Amino acid sequence: MQSLRNPASPWRHLDLTLLVSTVSISLMGVLMVYSATRQKQQTAGLDPAFFLKRQAIYLVVGLVIMAVASLVDYRHIRDYVPFIYGGAVLALLLVISPLGASRRGTQAWFQLGPFQFQPSEMAKIALILALAAVLAGARGHLETGGLLTALGISFVPMALIYVQPDLGTNMVFVAVVIAVVLVAGARPRHIAVLTLLGITAIAMVVELGMMQDYQRDRLTAFLDPQTDSQRSSYNLRQSQIAIAAGGVAGRGLFQGTQTNLSFVPEQHTDFIFTAVGEELGFIGALALLGLFGVVVWRIWRAAVLARDQFGRLVCVGVLAMLVFQIFENVGMTMGITPITGIPLPFMSYGGSAMMAAFAGIGLVLNVHMRRFS
Amino acid sequence: MTQDTSRLRLGVLGMVVLSLFCALLARLWYLQVLASPTFKVEAQHNSVAVVYTEAPRGRILDRNGKVLADNRVVLALVADREQIAKKPEVLDRLSWLLGTPIPVLQERMADERYSLFKPVPVALDVPKDKLIYVREHQGDFPGVEGVQLTERWYPNGSIAAHVLGSVGEVNDQELGPRKALGYKAGDSIGKSGVELTYETELRGDPEIAKLEVDSLGRVQRSLGNQPAVQGDDIRLSIDLDIQRLAEESLAQGIDLARKSTDFLTGKRFLASGGSVVVTDPRDGSVLAMASNPTYDPNEFTNGISVRRFSELNDPAGHYPLNNRAIQGLYAPASTFKLATSVAAMRHGLISARDTYNDQGSYTVVGERSQTFSNARGARNGLVDVTKALTVSSDVFYYWLGERFWDNRGKLGPSAVQDVARSLGMGEYTNVDLPFESNGRIDEPASRERLHKENPAVFPYPEWYTGYNLNVAVGQGDTQITPLQLANSYATFANGGTVFAPRLGDAVLDRSGNLLRDIEAKVLRRTELPASILQPLMAGFRGVVSDPSGTAYGAFAGFPLAQFPVAGKTGTAEVLGKFDTSLFTAYAPADAPRYVIAVVMEEAGLGASAAAPVARRVLEGIAVKEGVSAAAPGAVNRILDGKD
Repeated sequence: MQSLRNPASPWRHLDLTLLVSTVSISLMGVLMVYSATRQKQQTAGLDPAFFLKRQAIYLVVGLVIMAVASLVDYRHIRDYVPFIYGGAVLALLLVISPLGASRRGTQAWFQLGPFQFQPSEMAKIALILALAAVLAGARGHLETGGLLTALGISFVPMALIYVQPDLGTNMVFVAVVIAVVLVAGARPRHIAVLTLLGITAIAMVVELGMMQDYQRDRLTAFLDPQTDSQRSSYNLRQSQIAIAAGGVAGRGLFQGTQTNLSFVPEQHTDFIFTAVGEELGFIGALALLGLFGVVVWRIWRAAVLARDQFGRLVCVGVLAMLVFQIFENVGMTMGITPITGIPLPFMSYGGSAMMAAFAGIGLVLNVHMRRFS
Repeated sequence: MTQDTSRLRLGVLGMVVLSLFCALLARLWYLQVLASPTFKVEAQHNSVAVVYTEAPRGRILDRNGKVLADNRVVLALVADREQIAKKPEVLDRLSWLLGTPIPVLQERMADERYSLFKPVPVALDVPKDKLIYVREHQGDFPGVEGVQLTERWYPNGSIAAHVLGSVGEVNDQELGPRKALGYKAGDSIGKSGVELTYETELRGDPEIAKLEVDSLGRVQRSLGNQPAVQGDDIRLSIDLDIQRLAEESLAQGIDLARKSTDFLTGKRFLASGGSVVVTDPRDGSVLAMASNPTYDPNEFTNGISVRRFSELNDPAGHYPLNNRAIQGLYAPASTFKLATSVAAMRHGLISARDTYNDQGSYTVVGERSQTFSNARGARNGLVDVTKALTVSSDVFYYWLGERFWDNRGKLGPSAVQDVARSLGMGEYTNVDLPFESNGRIDEPASRERLHKENPAVFPYPEWYTGYNLNVAVGQGDTQITPLQLANSYATFANGGTVFAPRLGDAVLDRSGNLLRDIEAKVLRRTELPASILQPLMAGFRGVVSDPSGTAYGAFAGFPLAQFPVAGKTGTAEVLGKFDTSLFTAYAPADAPRYVIAVVMEEAGLGASAAAPVARRVLEGIAVKEGVSAAAPGAVNRILDGKD
C-alpha cells in the first residue's frame, strides 16, 4: 500500500470512470438477459433465473480476468505476446478439429462441462496484442514490410475462423486491423490498397458462393426488408418492432410483450439491445449508448495519453473491437447494418465474449494507469 | 512529429467513432420517438389474439309466446389443435370411440372456421356415456374435452318452416357488407325467412376474449373477456295453432286432391303443392302462412348434406324450399272479379241493380270474333253484380271486359288493372320476408314490355278485345301470389286500407319485456264507398251461404249463423296442367277479423279443393273463438295440440 503514496504508482491512476461505466453496463446486461429469458423459461417449466445466474457468473469471471489483465504490467505482457498469439492460433486449430463442438453449422466452441468456450473471442485480444507488438516499432512510419507482417499475422486466425465459419468475428478482426494499422502510421497508399483489398474480398465472398446461403440472406436482408418470407427479415422486423414499441419511456422492465413472448429471436444474446429498447425505451437505450460512449471515450483518451506506441495500439485495438461490435450489433437490431452474429459487449449473454471484453478493458486500464511509470 | 501524426490519426479515429454513434442515435430517435406509434400497433397485433364466440340467437315466438325457434344445448367433444398435433394417436382413439373415420376427424380438426386459439368441435350430439368415457380416460385423450354447445333448434319441426327460414354459415357475399358489423367468416346468419329479416335483432353480441399469445401462438394468459349478449327475441303475429291448422288442412286437402279424378281428363290430379295464408285485415298481421310441400329447418342447422340439399331441389319433389305464399305465382281466375267489379262500379259502368242476361256464353264480334263460355256452359239468366259473384257468372264479366275496352278512350286501357293493383294484386306486398315475388297484371302495356324484353317467349305485342275479357275473369297473363290474394281481400274487408302484411309483431328481451313494437304499415288507401262494398259483400256471402253459391256445398254444416263467412272461389286454367284451385274468404263477414286465401296447384275446381281446406281452417278458428262448439275430430285434435 506504500505505492499509493508514490505519485507514479499505477493505483493512483486507475481509471475509475472506465471501470464504473463498464461494470454498470454489465449489470444492466445481467438484468436484461434475465428479462429476455424469464418468461420463456417459465413457460417451458424451467428455472426462470437460469440465464440470470449464469450471466452473473460470467460477469464475476470477467472481472477477475480484467483484474489479471490490468495487474501485470503490459510491458511484461508484451514479452509473452508470441505465446499468447500462438496459443490462440492453436485453440482455433483445435476447435475446428473433432474436439470442437458444432451448433447450427458453425464449429466454434469447446464444450467444457456445462459451459462453452469460444476461442475466437480470446483470439481477438491475442491479435490486438500481436498487431500492437509488431507495429509498435514503426513509430508512426509504417513500411510496406511491416504492413505485410501485420496482414500476415491477421490472416492466420482469420482463415481459421473462416473455416468455422464465423463471418461476424472476422468482420471484427478487419475493423481491428484497419484501426491499428491506421494509427500505427499507415500511409494513405496503404489505406487505399487495404480498402480495395477489403472490397474485393467482400465481393468475392458474396458473389463466388464462398458464403453459406443463410449468411448471404442475413447480410442482405436489411437492404430489402420487404422480402418477408425470409426468416432473417422476420427477425429484423420483430427486432425493430420491439425497439420502436418501447417509445420514449419504454414499456417498463419485464413488461415488453415482444420480449416476454419471444417474438425476437436470439434476444438474450445477439438481440439483447431490443429488450433494452422495448422495456426501458428511448431513455434507457440512450443511457446505455451514453455509457458505451463514456467507455469508448475513456479508451480513446487512454490511447492518447499512452506512454508508448505498444500501449497506444493496444488501446486502439480494443477501441476498434468494441466500437465495431457496438455499432454493428445495435445497428443490426435497428435495421441499419447487416445481421451478423456479433454480441453486444458486456450486454449479450455469453461467457467468452464477456471475458474477451473485460480482458480488453483490463489492458486499457493497465496502459492508462502505467502511463507515468 | 511522431506524436503529432499519431494524435492526428487518433483524432481521425475519434471522428469516425463519433459519427458511428451519431448514426445509431439518429436511428434510435427515428424508431423510438418518430415511428413509435405505428410500431406499437404492430407489437399489439403480434401478441394479442382475439377470439370471438357467437352469442346464442334470440328466439322466435308466436303471438302467444309459444316458442317457434330456440337454441338447444348439444353435447360435443372439442379438441385442442396443438395437443392433437403433438399426439396424433389421440385421433385414432377418438375414431374408435365415435365410429368416425380418421380422415373425417382430421378434416374437422383443420376446419378454418374455428379460431386457432380455441378448441375445435370434432363431434356434435355425442352420447353422454361417450363423454363420460373420455373424462374417465382423460390420460388417453389429452386435449379432448366434453363441452355443451348451443345450436338453432326448431321445436315444432317443419311447422312454419318457410316463415322461420333457416340459419347457416355466412358466405363471402353476405360477409362483405357486414364486416363492419362485426361478422366473421364462420359466423352463422339468417339465410331466409324471419331469421333473415330480423337478423339484426336476433343476432346477439359475440363473446370477445382477448388472449396474449407468444411467437409460437401459445396462449399465455387472458387479457380480459367481454361476455356474449344473447340476441333479442322476436314475437311474430303467427298463431301457432292456426299455423298448424292451416298446414295440416292444406296437406290433407292436397292428399284428397291426389285421390280425386279430373272429370275432363279422367286422370288423378297432380296436386303438386299449395299455400294457405291467414291474415288479420285490421292491421295486416299474418296469423298463418303455410306452403306445401315443406321441410324441416332443423336439417339445415349444422350444414345440410349435399345429398339432402339436392333432394330438396329435385323437380320431382315440387321444390319444398319455395315459400309458395310469397313466391308462387298463379292466375287468380274468378277471385279477380273483386277488382273487375270495383272498377266497373267506380267508373259507373254498372250500378248495383244493373243486370245482364247470362245465356252461358259471350261472343266478341270484330276482327277476331271469338266466343267465351261459362265453366261447364252454365246459364245463369239475369244476373246483377251480387248474383254474378255468388254464382260466378263469367259471362257477366266478359260483358264488363268488353265494355271497359270500348270505353278505353275515356277510362284508359288499364282501368281494371289499375284497380287490381290499388287493392294489392300484382305488386310487392312488402311483407317482412325476403325473396317475395311481385307477379303481374295482364294489360296492353305489360304485353308490349314483355315482348320487347323477350320476344321469343312473348311473340305477340298486340292487345285484342278478347284479352280484356280474360283480364276481367282473372285469366290471361295475370299472376299473383297467395299473399297478394289474401291482402287484396283484406283491403276490401277492411274498407279500403292496404297494409303491408307483417309477421314481426314485437322485439322482446330475454325476460320477455317489450323492447320495440313492430308497427302495422299502411301502404295506401283506396276509395271503397258503401255503394260498392255492400253489393259485393252480399255477393261474397252468397258464395258460401246461398244454395246457388259456388262454395255452398263446401260450407255445408259450417256454423255460418255464429261465424258468418264471405268468400270467392276461383278455378284457373293453366295450359298443359290441371286447374289451379283457389278460394279466398273473410270472416266474420259483418266485421272481418280473418282473411284466408287458399291456392292449390293442379288440384281442380276452387269449390272442390281449395274451399274445403279454407272451411277446415275457418272451422278451427271458429272453435278457437268459442263461437262454435265441437267441430269435426281433426280440427279438435289440432287445436288441442295432441298430435
